[in-house]
Amino acid sequence: MASLSLKGIQKIYPNGYHAVTDFNLEVEDKEFIIFVGPSGCGKSTTLRMIAGLEDISEGEFRIDGVLMNDVEPKDRDIAMVFQSYALYPHMTVYDNMAFALKLRNVPKDEIDAKVREAAKILDLEKLLDRKPKALSGGQRQRVAMGRAIVRSPKVFLMDEPLSNLDAKLRVQMRTEISKLHEKLGTTIIYVTHDQTEAMTLGTRIVVMKDGIVQQINTPEHLYNKPCNLFVAGFIGSPQMNFIDAVVGIDGDKVILKVGDNVLNVPDEEKQVLIDGGYDGKTVVLGIRPENISDDPAFLAENQDHAVKTTIKVHEMLGAEVFLYFDVNGTQMTARVHPDSPLRAGSDATLAFDMEKIHLFDKETEKNLLHPEW
Amino acid sequence: MNQNELAAKQKKRRQVITIIVLIIVFILFVIPFLLVLINVFKTKGDITSNPLALIGEHGFTLQNFPEAMAKMDFWNVFKNSAIITFSATILTILFSAMASFVIVRNNWKACTLFFALMIASMVIPFQVLMVPLVSVYGGIFGILGSRITLIFMHVGFSVSMATFMFHGAIHSNIPLELEEAALIDGCSRWQTFWKIVFPLLKPTVATVAIIDAMAFWNDYLLPSLVLTDKEIYTIPIATQAFYGTYSTDIGLVMAALLLAMLPILILYLFLQKHIVAGVTAGAVKG
Repeated sequence: MASLSLKGIQKIYPNGYHAVTDFNLEVEDKEFIIFVGPSGCGKSTTLRMIAGLEDISEGEFRIDGVLMNDVEPKDRDIAMVFQSYALYPHMTVYDNMAFALKLRNVPKDEIDAKVREAAKILDLEKLLDRKPKALSGGQRQRVAMGRAIVRSPKVFLMDEPLSNLDAKLRVQMRTEISKLHEKLGTTIIYVTHDQTEAMTLGTRIVVMKDGIVQQINTPEHLYNKPCNLFVAGFIGSPQMNFIDAVVGIDGDKVILKVGDNVLNVPDEEKQVLIDGGYDGKTVVLGIRPENISDDPAFLAENQDHAVKTTIKVHEMLGAEVFLYFDVNGTQMTARVHPDSPLRAGSDATLAFDMEKIHLFDKETEKNLLHPEW
Repeated sequence: MNQNELAAKQKKRRQVITIIVLIIVFILFVIPFLLVLINVFKTKGDITSNPLALIGEHGFTLQNFPEAMAKMDFWNVFKNSAIITFSATILTILFSAMASFVIVRNNWKACTLFFALMIASMVIPFQVLMVPLVSVYGGIFGILGSRITLIFMHVGFSVSMATFMFHGAIHSNIPLELEEAALIDGCSRWQTFWKIVFPLLKPTVATVAIIDAMAFWNDYLLPSLVLTDKEIYTIPIATQAFYGTYSTDIGLVMAALLLAMLPILILYLFLQKHIVAGVTAGAVKG
């Protein structure tokens, strides 16, 4: 098992394109780190630099304190699970799993023991003689995991390993990977563009955009205290609602005007707006769908934070309902209880839980209350 | 007759025409082989009197084979053909597969240039190069009259086409991730090629093998220029022995031709499955 250190990592292609800019990360032993971000954000490139499949243009990458920048992939003691699984089609499952050990001249008995142990963990014992083409997507995925496990590497790298599976199998395999991490206690770096995978698997998440790290922290922290507008919008499904609001400061009283609706700002946010001199300025108000309620008891207590609107779309998901509505021309979403009487076309009064709001600077897009990582 | 019946009738008519055309083309292709096959078991007189008869007046005979084999020194020329064909085919496959791997996987300008030159060389007909080839290798280097020279030339002339085929196969059928997985598993570039890439090129290897083996085995012109010594003649050159200035023993020619054809036919039957796979590889997403 190992700790990783990435300092000032950059990837600059010969045409001058910066794929990754100033990437800094310290990974502790046994951590499950997730790189998440939209396509082209540099997450896979960073993973490939860690694997040694891409050169590092600038910066230092160390495993257990040893500089790895120019070390060959085979000498880094890492294992990688690819998006396409990259199983060798001409070899059986057994040979696929034993291949790396054979190359290292591990004695046959030891190879056999390790392959069978990994097969047992992953429930592949009956499939060892099959070729990859005779396996289902989920089985192939498990073989790819098995190929990584048998080597007992210092670090597991996984590049969107679940993205080729159907939705049901993806959820199942996600649990399997989580269990495997518990069992093996290996350091894992996992790349995904699926924020649900990121939230459920990671001990820490690295959110990236345009090759630049936006925030690194635990899933809870990213969800509750996103440092900027991008992270706030990327983490959480349905995504956080954003709406422009004009700040009004009158002595100790601070309000947010959203069209005709006036919302009273709680004490914590109040001081930041006063200190930042935001009076009369427009900020971005962010609120998660579950923090907008139609519950009569909540409405009664929060008359100062309510908006009047008409429901446009009603989406019943069984355990919850999504309501889509406009406030001052901006579409918003509320996640409410399935017993809610509101339907498409209903006039509604919905209250914002102002303790859970996020305020972002319109220019810098930084979270005014939690600008730090 | 309604529209549906009319359409069905037209469809059937088109199918019948297609089948008739295909049968005619098939017969045109097969007739020379059939003529060899029915005449090889006849005497010279029977062939001359009625070449289309299935069995001659003097009946079925195997006499042409031992006579032809003796006259053309069959086992010696067969050995020469086998050595040349086998060596040239193996070397062509090895060199072109390795070259295409380097060309596909490296973004060097030199690779692009070499590949462009290889493609360009494919359009130059052999006959244009024939005279300078013989004068340079015969006159300056003085290395004509050797099996090794012929093997070398065969490889030289066929490696461009083979590289082109392997280039396409690696480019479209071998995902880069497989090679990256092999690198992480501990393979060197050399091992990656031999343990991962080359085994996956089996259909293309079979296709190149049959195309080149057939060309080398049947080639007459190049061996006739290079092989100056009777001891190292190949089968197609040795069959010349049956064509006299004033008379040709057609029965012996037929026997020699059949003997020349058989090994390559057997090779084709063995590789047929892979050839079809090689031709269609990459056509359908797997």
